[in-house]
Amino acid sequence: MATDQQTGTWYGTGEAVSRVRGQAFKTLCLSATLLALLSVFVLLLYVANDAFQPLSADTGWLLVTIGTVVVPSLAAVGYYYTRDTRAGETATIALGLPIVSLLLTGGVFITFEHVVSVYQWLSILVSLAVAGGIVYAHSRVRTEADLERLVVVVAVPALALWFIPKLILSLPMLPTQSIALLGSFVVPVAVVVGLFVRRQRENDRDGVIAAVLTLVGAAAGFGVAPVVGITPFVWMLLVTVTAVPVSLYVESVIRRGAGVSGLAFPLIVVGGIVASAVLTDTLGFAGPTPWLDWGFLTNVPSRTPEDAGFYPPLVGSVMMLLIIIISAFPVGVGAALYLEEYAPQRGRWGRLVDLIEVNIGNLAGVPSVVYGVLGLALFIRAGGLGSGTALVGGFTVGLLILPIVIISSQEAISAVPDSMRQASYGMGATKWQTTRNVVLPEALPGIMTGNILAMGRAIGETAPLLIIGAPAVVRIAPNSFTNKFSAMPRQIYTWSGEIDAAFRHGVLAAGVVTLLVVLLLMNGAAILIRNKYQRRE
Amino acid sequence: MTQDSMTNPDSRTDSQSTDLERSNQTSDPLVDSSIDTGQSGGSGGETRTVIESRDLDVFYDETQALQSVDIEIPAEKVTAIIGPSGCGKSTFLRCINRMNDLVDAARIEGALNFEGKNVYDDDVDPVVLRRKIGMVFQSPNPFPKSIYDNVAYGLNVQGIEGDYDAIVEKALRRAALWDEVKDQLDSSGLDLSGGQQQRLCIARAIAPDPDVLLMDEPASALDPVATSKIEDLIEELSEEYTVVIVTHNMQQAARISDKTAVFLTGGELAEFDNTDKIFENPESQRVEDYITGKFG
Repeated sequence: MATDQQTGTWYGTGEAVSRVRGQAFKTLCLSATLLALLSVFVLLLYVANDAFQPLSADTGWLLVTIGTVVVPSLAAVGYYYTRDTRAGETATIALGLPIVSLLLTGGVFITFEHVVSVYQWLSILVSLAVAGGIVYAHSRVRTEADLERLVVVVAVPALALWFIPKLILSLPMLPTQSIALLGSFVVPVAVVVGLFVRRQRENDRDGVIAAVLTLVGAAAGFGVAPVVGITPFVWMLLVTVTAVPVSLYVESVIRRGAGVSGLAFPLIVVGGIVASAVLTDTLGFAGPTPWLDWGFLTNVPSRTPEDAGFYPPLVGSVMMLLIIIISAFPVGVGAALYLEEYAPQRGRWGRLVDLIEVNIGNLAGVPSVVYGVLGLALFIRAGGLGSGTALVGGFTVGLLILPIVIISSQEAISAVPDSMRQASYGMGATKWQTTRNVVLPEALPGIMTGNILAMGRAIGETAPLLIIGAPAVVRIAPNSFTNKFSAMPRQIYTWSGEIDAAFRHGVLAAGVVTLLVVLLLMNGAAILIRNKYQRRE
Repeated sequence: MTQDSMTNPDSRTDSQSTDLERSNQTSDPLVDSSIDTGQSGGSGGETRTVIESRDLDVFYDETQALQSVDIEIPAEKVTAIIGPSGCGKSTFLRCINRMNDLVDAARIEGALNFEGKNVYDDDVDPVVLRRKIGMVFQSPNPFPKSIYDNVAYGLNVQGIEGDYDAIVEKALRRAALWDEVKDQLDSSGLDLSGGQQQRLCIARAIAPDPDVLLMDEPASALDPVATSKIEDLIEELSEEYTVVIVTHNMQQAARISDKTAVFLTGGELAEFDNTDKIFENPESQRVEDYITGKFG
C-alpha cells in the first residue's frame, strides 16, 4: 500500500471528488435560462406573425423576397461576421441609424404638429434669447450683486416666457410655417452641427462647411420638396433629423477608412426590397396583407379592423412622455442630488434621511394601479384637472416612475469617485461649484441611462391610464395637453376587448409590435449612451 | 452684519493671546530648533512661522487621531511629516485646510493658526482658507476634463481674472509638465501617465498661486523615476511656497525637507526638528528606533 502511494497513483483513483451535484445545478440553471429566453422569443414570434401575416402572401412572392432580400442580406452578414468585424459594426449602425433617425423625425413631426406649433416654438426661442441677453447684460453691469442676479435669473426668463410669446403670436403678419421652421429649428441645428464638426475635426473651415451644407440642404426644400411630392416642412425635418446624422456618420466612416464595406449593407437591404417589389409586381405575385403598415401608423382608430389605426395613441404617448420629461425628471434628479450630496449623513436627521431612502425603494414597488388611484385623487379630484388628459396622465405616470428616476440617479451620483469631490474642495470650490462642475458632468451619462430606462417603463403603463379615465378610443389626435388622450397600451387594451377576432389578433398584434419597437429603441439608446461614456480607466 | 463686527475683534484678541503664549514659550525646545534652522541652513535668513498648532486634538467619533500636537511650520521651507501608518499624519495635514470638515465624524479641539488666525474660528470660511492653501492628494486625481481645464479649474472656481492661457502655461512649466503636454492641452487629463497626472495635479494646485502647498504622500503611487521628478519639483517649489509634505518614505523626507516632524502611533508628535538633526541625532529613543527601522 505504502509503495503504491509513493509511485504516484494519487490521481485518477476511485477517490475522485464528486461533481454530480454541481453538474446538476449547472444544468438546472442553464435550462431555466433557456426556458425564459425561449418563451419570450416564441411570444415575440407569435405576435410578429400576427402583425405581419407573412404566410398570407403567394408562394412566388415569398420566394422572390427570399431571393432578393433575405439571401443577399444573410450572405453579407456572413461575410462581415467571418471576414471583417469592423465592417460588421459599421453595417449595424449604417442600417440602424437611418431607421432611428426616421422614427425621431416622426416624433419631431408629431411634436410640431400637435404639441407646440412652430410659431409657439419660435416665440419660446425668441423669449429665451431675450431673457438670456438681459441676464448676461446684468451680470456685466452689476458684477457684485449676487442676490440681485439670482432674482434676475429667475424672474426675467419667467416674465419673458409669459409676455413675449403672446406678443409674437398676436402679430398681424407671421411668416409661413416653413420659413418659421427654417429660422427656429434648422438654423439652431445647423449651428450645433457646425460646432460639433469643428470640435471633431479641430478645424473652423469644416465646421462652417457642415453648417452651411445643412442650411442649404434644408432650404432647398422650398424648390425641391413640391417636385418630390412632400411639403417643404417635412423636407426640412427629413434633412435636419435624418439626412444630417446619417451623412455625418457616412463621412466619418469614409474618412477613418476602416470598415467602409459595411456601408454597403443598407444598400443591399434597400436594393433587395426595391428589386423584390418590382419583380413581384411584374410577375403578378400578391404580397402579404400585414396589419402593421404605414396606414396603421397614420390612421385613426376605426370600427373596421382593416382601417384601424394607431396615430392618436402614438401622439398621446409622445405628449405623455413630454410631460414626464419636464415634470418627473427634474424633480427626480434634484431629489437624488439632494439625498446624495447635501442630506445629513449622521445623527437624528441622518436617520430620517435613511428612512426616506428606504421608503423611496418601497415606493418603487407600489403597484401601478395604486398610483392610478393616487393620480385620480390628487390631480383630478383635488387638483381640479380634467380627467383623461395628457397632463394628468403624464403627472400620474411621472409619479409612478419618480422612485425609479431617483434611485437610478442616486446610483449614478454615488458612483462619482470621492477623490474628485476632494480635489475640487481642495481647490477652494464651494459645494455648489463642486456639484455643478465635477459631480453632475461625471454622473450625467448614468443619470440619462436611468432616465431613459424609466421612460421605457412609463410608456408601457396601462393601469394608471385606465383609472384616471383615459378614453377607450380617441378618434382625433389630441392637440393640447388638456385634451382627452389615449396612449399606446391603453388602445391595445381596448382592442383586446373587441368582439371581432381580427381586432384581437391582427390589430392588437400590430399595436404590440409598434410599442415593443419603440421600447427596444429606447433601451438601445440607453445602452449606447452607457457604453459611449463608460469611465475610461 | 453687527454680529460679524462683534465677533471680529473677539477673534483678534484670541490670536493676540496665542501670540503672547508663543513669546512666553521661548524656552520651548521647538522654538530653539527654529533658531537652529537659521544657523544650519547657512542662509541666516529670518524664518517666519506660517502655520502653528497649539494643543490640537482630533477625534473620529471616540477614537483619538491626534493628541495635543504643538508644531510651528516655517515659511518657504519644506516640512516633512513622517511616521508609521495610522499615526495621524494625513489627519494633521487635512486639519490645516479644514478638509476634515468633510468627514462628519471628525471633531477638532485646540487651535490651528494660519498667519496668526485660528482657522477653526467661527468667522473663518473654509472655502476662503482652501483658496490660500493648495493640496495635492495621495493618488493622482485629475478631473475627467481636458488638461487645460484641469489647470484652469481653480482659476474658474475662485473667480480669478486674467490671462488664463498665460497662467496655465506658467503653472504647467513650474510643474515641469509643459514640454510634455503643450501640444495636447485639449486632450483629457486622464490620458496621461500616473507621474504626469500627479504633476498635472501639482500644476492645478499652484495655478491659483496659493500661499501654502499641502502634499499627502504625493509620490506613493508612482515609480522611482516619476518620484524623483516630483521630488525635484518640490525642492524648486519650496523657493516660493511653504510646502508641507506627508510621506511614508524616510529617505524621501531626508532628501527634500528642511524640517521633519515625526508622529508616532496614537497621534502624538514625538519630535519636530531640523531634518539633519532628526535623522542623525534624534532626542527621543523611540524616534531613533523608528528611523533606524526597529519598528514601524
